[in-house]
Amino acid sequence: MKHYETVYIINPNLADEAVADIVARFSALIEKSSGVVTKVDEWGKRDLAYDIKKFNKGYYVLMQFCGDPGITVELQRQFGLDDSILKSQTILLSDHADPEALKAEAQAAKAKETVEETETETTSEDEGKDGVQ
Amino acid sequence: MAYNKKYNRGDSTNRGRFKRTFHRRKVCKFCADSSLAIDYKDLRVLKYFTTERGKITPRRISGNCAKHQRQLTVAIKRARNIALLPYTTSIVR
Repeated sequence: MKHYETVYIINPNLADEAVADIVARFSALIEKSSGVVTKVDEWGKRDLAYDIKKFNKGYYVLMQFCGDPGITVELQRQFGLDDSILKSQTILLSDHADPEALKAEAQAAKAKETVEETETETTSEDEGKDGVQ
Repeated sequence: MAYNKKYNRGDSTNRGRFKRTFHRRKVCKFCADSSLAIDYKDLRVLKYFTTERGKITPRRISGNCAKHQRQLTVAIKRARNIALLPYTTSIVR
């Protein structure tokens, strides 16, 4: 299985439900084509570096998934059919990937992130105490 | 001793090289700092290696090694494609 990463830009004027619907739809498409979604990260509304379809803002969504090469072809076709997708880009991360390992890795990273967050919070508190003294 | 040193330098192979160009030893940022990864989503790093006009800084300026410059070029082009970085800055907006 190959590991891919796709970034797509959704029309910024859509309602939140419509955006969530689109994100869910493309994730479902991957699962349907016997792929595994390893990560979905919504960046939210961002300024575009240049206008696309006369929009200067866009709703960015990042999606990482494992699957066979045919999956990207179908994904691109679906992006083309959907008018609310301004632009998309798929890149190959690695040729041979184990989806289960990647999923575990993502979860570990998430856990680590939360731990780090709490740690930084505590350290900043300590610093504050030092400042008082 | 200092005099001898000077004398030797002038008389050796460097003779005739009157134009002294200013050389600052440049080290590839990515080689020096292994924690600095090249990623097309990391705009802070990419912007550092582009000009105000959005062009990619040449290797002779940035001091990057060939390997990392190649990776960086791909990353910048990917970022441009997905509208994270501009292809060029527009004067009239």
